[in-house]
Amino acid sequence: MNPIRIEPLRALDEALKFNQKLAAGFKTLRELDDVDYGVTEKEEVYREDKLVLYRFKGASKPTAKTPLLIAYALVNRPYMVDLQGDRSLVKNLLAQGEDVYLIDWGYPDQSDRYLTLDDYINGYIKRCVDVVAKRHKVDKVNLLGICQGGAFSLCFASIYPGKIRNLITMVTPVDFHTPDNMLSNWTRGMDVDLFVDTLGNVPADMMNWCYLTLKPVRLFQQKYIGMVDILDDKAELENFLRMEKWIFDSPDQAGEAFRQFVKDFYQGNKLVKGGLKIGDKDVSLKKVTMPVLNIFAEQDHLVPPSASRPLKQLAGTKDYTELAFKGGHIGIYVSGRAQREVPTAIHEWLKKR
Amino acid sequence: MSDTKSTADLSKDWQAMQQQYWNAWTDATRQASSQQPAAGTPWHEGLEQWSRMFDSGKQSETADRLMSSAKNYVALMQSMLAAASGKKIDDSPLQAWTEALRSGFNLPNMDAALVNNPMAAMLKGISGQGAQGFEQLSQSFAPFLAQAKQEGMSWLQAPAFGYAREHQEHYQKMLAAFAEYQEALKHYNALILKSSQRSFTILEDKLAERSEPGRQIDSLRALYDLWVDSAEEAYAEIALSDEFRKVYGDVVNAQTRVRSQIQQEVERVGTDLGMPTRTELNSVHKRLHDLRREFRNAQSADVAAQIEVLSAEVQALKQELARQQGQPAASVHKATPKARAATPNTQAKRKHAAAVAKPRAASKRGAATFNDAISAMRDSAAGTSASHKAVAKKNRSDA
Repeated sequence: MNPIRIEPLRALDEALKFNQKLAAGFKTLRELDDVDYGVTEKEEVYREDKLVLYRFKGASKPTAKTPLLIAYALVNRPYMVDLQGDRSLVKNLLAQGEDVYLIDWGYPDQSDRYLTLDDYINGYIKRCVDVVAKRHKVDKVNLLGICQGGAFSLCFASIYPGKIRNLITMVTPVDFHTPDNMLSNWTRGMDVDLFVDTLGNVPADMMNWCYLTLKPVRLFQQKYIGMVDILDDKAELENFLRMEKWIFDSPDQAGEAFRQFVKDFYQGNKLVKGGLKIGDKDVSLKKVTMPVLNIFAEQDHLVPPSASRPLKQLAGTKDYTELAFKGGHIGIYVSGRAQREVPTAIHEWLKKR
Repeated sequence: MSDTKSTADLSKDWQAMQQQYWNAWTDATRQASSQQPAAGTPWHEGLEQWSRMFDSGKQSETADRLMSSAKNYVALMQSMLAAASGKKIDDSPLQAWTEALRSGFNLPNMDAALVNNPMAAMLKGISGQGAQGFEQLSQSFAPFLAQAKQEGMSWLQAPAFGYAREHQEHYQKMLAAFAEYQEALKHYNALILKSSQRSFTILEDKLAERSEPGRQIDSLRALYDLWVDSAEEAYAEIALSDEFRKVYGDVVNAQTRVRSQIQQEVERVGTDLGMPTRTELNSVHKRLHDLRREFRNAQSADVAAQIEVLSAEVQALKQELARQQGQPAASVHKATPKARAATPNTQAKRKHAAAVAKPRAASKRGAATFNDAISAMRDSAAGTSASHKAVAKKNRSDA
């Protein structure tokens, strides 16, 4: 039997409706205001260079005794964890009683091109952890590292195990050399020294182009054709635009930190193979002895689950928990399922420790 | 359409034009005629005119992306409608559908290099404010290379001599880098073409799996979505290969060498004109960064030294207390070797830290005035001196 049974009149009707929706939708698009993001009230508690450390304020007082510090990736803006009222990891964590802090790395410019991973991990993260610990009069804090921020958090927890009570890693790459890791395949043929020596900081446009080309048809065409379906729904359209804004609101990458991250993580795979040094400090996942909750997304095209799972074998902890989320790299923060499952899982896991 | 028309008038014009077009299509479909409305009009034109009305909107960048994707999709639908019109539902062979889909990606007036290569067209389209691809950069470099080709590539190997020898060598390197980049890009584009071709093979395989009732494709959108799945699968096969790693690395590295050569040239011109250069700025940034690090390290060293001094002080006080009470102090023995091992350097650090720490300590104790603070410091200093003497005495007796 013919696998294609498209009735000509139905096809015509489909095309007509698409065209009508597109025409009507442009009117809606034109009338929309610029979208905002970051819904939860927060206060600045520490500032250094371009970094700002925030503490979020929930509707009620936190019940958790140990504060939770979120370290996001450098490659995107951290407001993804607090995108909008009904899509906010932060808001849901606060509602569960957690006391949530977030490091906002800011937008590096050329004056930051010499920032190294030593500056980020032994400098910025360490000082933020110290500030949070001091505010709460505790020796250890809970650390939640996301994506590249998760890799940084693993390094930090390995170097300063005495400062971390519980470690949560979300969509965090550990083994960078799995065969399904496209980004890793591409970076391994790159002369990163030439790249950074020439560019200084790595421009955000270049990073965005690279991410889009991981799935060019889906991300550059199909997504916008799908957008036509929601053009007459103002609320859905705003959600789409908010996400769109986040995707392309990318900071440039500080050159030296980028160089080391590509060399040691993507090319050298040193979290797995060993020999990683951050500044003058050795990193070994065996020294990650605190309880670890590793959350990854089953349909993640940026950090495939196979890149996150090896943490179970490599971490020195005896208390390791894994959560496989049904969704993708972005859905893990913003999907309806994520709102229900992820903050609750984090809170319940922390509560027991 | 006149520029002076209002948005409402433009909208009416476009709708009228669309209606005419739809009527033509409907007639063609109902009459089972092989005649179809002219390709390329007015859908494309209509969309173009429509999009011009939104050039100053708040969401103009998203509107651009939407419009670009919609134009491609509309062209696809048009091509597929042509395959469907005038035929009964089961009449169109599979081959005709896939051909219609394939040709639907070939937009009117398209760059010849992109014909039958939807993946390359897609990658070329990823441009604008948010991203820059290999193709765009290649275009911006092309005039330089064209000039080099005009002059004959053999010039690149000619020996340089005389007053402008270094400049000539630099230009030769720069043009050689351009040529190398073009060559690398050719290999990259060949792999992208391979992925486009493979996408249609995968599509045919996927369609073959949908022959049984209930799994058949019954809409243009479903057929398009299935092609997207096929295209991504084909692209991933290639993009994850060792060959692509090599080719991708080559094109990135070659492009970077071109940038580097251009930078050097701009730098040379900048120097000649007395303008600040990238190298000079980098030097300033490096110094600034080193200073920032030095400052942070000094701050944390200060704190560490303060802690060391205060710990020693506490231990000494414990010792003194224990001595006065005539009891052995268990913890004393742990602290003393460290105190004994203090080098002149750590002693200096301690002195400095003590000087910094004491006013703060005094002030924290709630000194009401500056004089109170000074008195508190004196008391503290006397105590420290006494306790250090006690430690020294104990050390001697331990030794």
